[in-house]
Amino acid sequence: MEEKMLDIENLKTTFYTREGQVHAVDGVSLHIRGGESVGIVGESGCGKSMTAMSVMGLLKKPGKVDGGQILFEGRDLRAMTPVERRKILGNQISMIFQEPMTSLNPVTTVGKQVREALLLHNREMTRAEAKRQVIQAFELVGIPDASKRYGEYPHQLSGGLRQRVMIAMAMACGPRLLIADEPTTALDVTIEAQILHLMKQLQEEKGTAVMMITHNLGVVAQFCTRLYVMYAGKVMESGTVKEIFGHVCHPYTDGLMRSVPDMESRERLYNIRGMVPNMLHLPKGCRFCPRCQYSGPRCFEEEPELYEAAPGHFVRCFLFESEGRR
Amino acid sequence: MSEREVLLSTRNLTKEYQLKNSFGVRKKQVVHAVSGVSLEIYKGETLSLVGESGCGKSTLGRMMMRLIEPTDGHILFEGKDITAFSEKQMNEMYKKIQMIFQDPYASLDPRMKVRNLIGEPLVTHRLYPTREATTERVKELMHMVGIRPEFLDRYPHQFSGGQRQRIGIARALALNPKLIVCDEPVSALDVSIQSQILNLLKDLQQEFDLTYLFISHDLGVVHYISDRICVMFLGKVCEIGETEEIYRSPMHPYTRFLLQAVPSMDPKKRQKREQILTGEIPSAVNPPSGCRFRTRCPYGREVCGEREPEMREIEGRKVACHFPLGL
Repeated sequence: MEEKMLDIENLKTTFYTREGQVHAVDGVSLHIRGGESVGIVGESGCGKSMTAMSVMGLLKKPGKVDGGQILFEGRDLRAMTPVERRKILGNQISMIFQEPMTSLNPVTTVGKQVREALLLHNREMTRAEAKRQVIQAFELVGIPDASKRYGEYPHQLSGGLRQRVMIAMAMACGPRLLIADEPTTALDVTIEAQILHLMKQLQEEKGTAVMMITHNLGVVAQFCTRLYVMYAGKVMESGTVKEIFGHVCHPYTDGLMRSVPDMESRERLYNIRGMVPNMLHLPKGCRFCPRCQYSGPRCFEEEPELYEAAPGHFVRCFLFESEGRR
Repeated sequence: MSEREVLLSTRNLTKEYQLKNSFGVRKKQVVHAVSGVSLEIYKGETLSLVGESGCGKSTLGRMMMRLIEPTDGHILFEGKDITAFSEKQMNEMYKKIQMIFQDPYASLDPRMKVRNLIGEPLVTHRLYPTREATTERVKELMHMVGIRPEFLDRYPHQFSGGQRQRIGIARALALNPKLIVCDEPVSALDVSIQSQILNLLKDLQQEFDLTYLFISHDLGVVHYISDRICVMFLGKVCEIGETEEIYRSPMHPYTRFLLQAVPSMDPKKRQKREQILTGEIPSAVNPPSGCRFRTRCPYGREVCGEREPEMREIEGRKVACHFPLGL
């Protein structure tokens, strides 16, 4: 088994708002090994993006990481000086975002933006050399007419091409870990298939590990090897894609999977009753219990831990407290 | 099929936009948003318009409601040509055709209470003599869509996305319409809320014998909700037919690629995905000659660039392709 490349231990990210404290990420532990692709799944507000932002140090006020460890190759990112951290972030760990239009600078050509990222992390590189590498990176991510596109502005490109530029930028420094926050959500299905195919190809060629944050279970099923399911700031279930899609355990994951209309059956869709809790007033006990059809009196009192339902398959639910029950 | 009652049909419906330069002077270029679409919507069915962004599905849906004026072609509702109806006549028509919008945050006036949001169409059409009667009807509608009637005096911001969409649905239902145009009604919602709204729409259809024109890019959702689907590409219809049949054996190459591109929920199917459609959607300003899909189509031959494929009827389905698959 390969060593853990990214090891997040008991991460706590809190937003200090006027109405009170919101524990957006509440004691999340997860790890990614070298070259692995790991999915983080959940609905809006479950803390999946905030986990990534905490790793990248991109949290804005009033958000703050106030607990836990973020180990990258054995070194705690939180304990580093800003100078040390900058050597890793954007270089060894890079990130792509959902909406490529808002994450690119509209008044600079896309080529310059990618070159800037490259030069920032490679002080000794000449501009001409950087330009050559950027064009190479554009070709690698399948941008047609790469040298012409180098001098174009983001608005001249389609959504799919913009996302390719973002990927080229993220891959420019040869990162060891790529964090992708809903990279295909804003794209059409045929373009989504192209981008996923490209990411997979790059991952296989370069051995980059990918953290794929998404709400789309189909993307996880097709792209990832392991996944973490989050709900209201906590990991509810984790394990390999094969295991979880084959033997889903947590009632929330199960409900989520049965809520997605698929292309085979037209049976009535399952509904998870109610809605996501208000993060300011979380229910006592299990966070999912008010919506859970199996919840008993204990669920409303105590908070379940992560229990190992099968080797490597963890579930935060009392139903799986006694070992090996599935 | 032929004995089924047609509720709304379009004949050669077309919308073109003239491009202007930054001084407002017309340029020679024209955007072909929707080009010559003819289709029928049968009473009681759900017909879905499917396609990627820019294919004209929303423009087509809005033209049917006359929210966008067509450049050419006709719209017939219950046999009457409503294309040239006056504003007054159209206002009467809106008792029969209503719409649900995509973004429940943008489509509800933030300064109006739920009572007025849902009650507005009732007041406009003077359906109830007293305020009390209107309120009763609003409460009934709220109950129908699953919002507690106590929330009558709340504002939209006090509701979640899913609940707002329910308010939008109640508002559309207020006048007992026959046809509801649903423009991406669940695209902005989370998975667990999406399934609630889809089931609600299905239940309401059964209860009130509604007809839906459902516009969506999500092929999973479309499979679940629709009886028939109409696949569009760059302003043209590629294929229309029964949902099950099209999903089982698509005849138009574009339909096939679209279906294949959807990431499957089954991890075992990973290897089975064959081809990925290359290239981007061509511009609607200068669509390719002949078949508009030919620049991305791996089966394209010479004719495809020369002649535009006509709509052909094959086994109860309509396909616009020179070389339909599986024949």
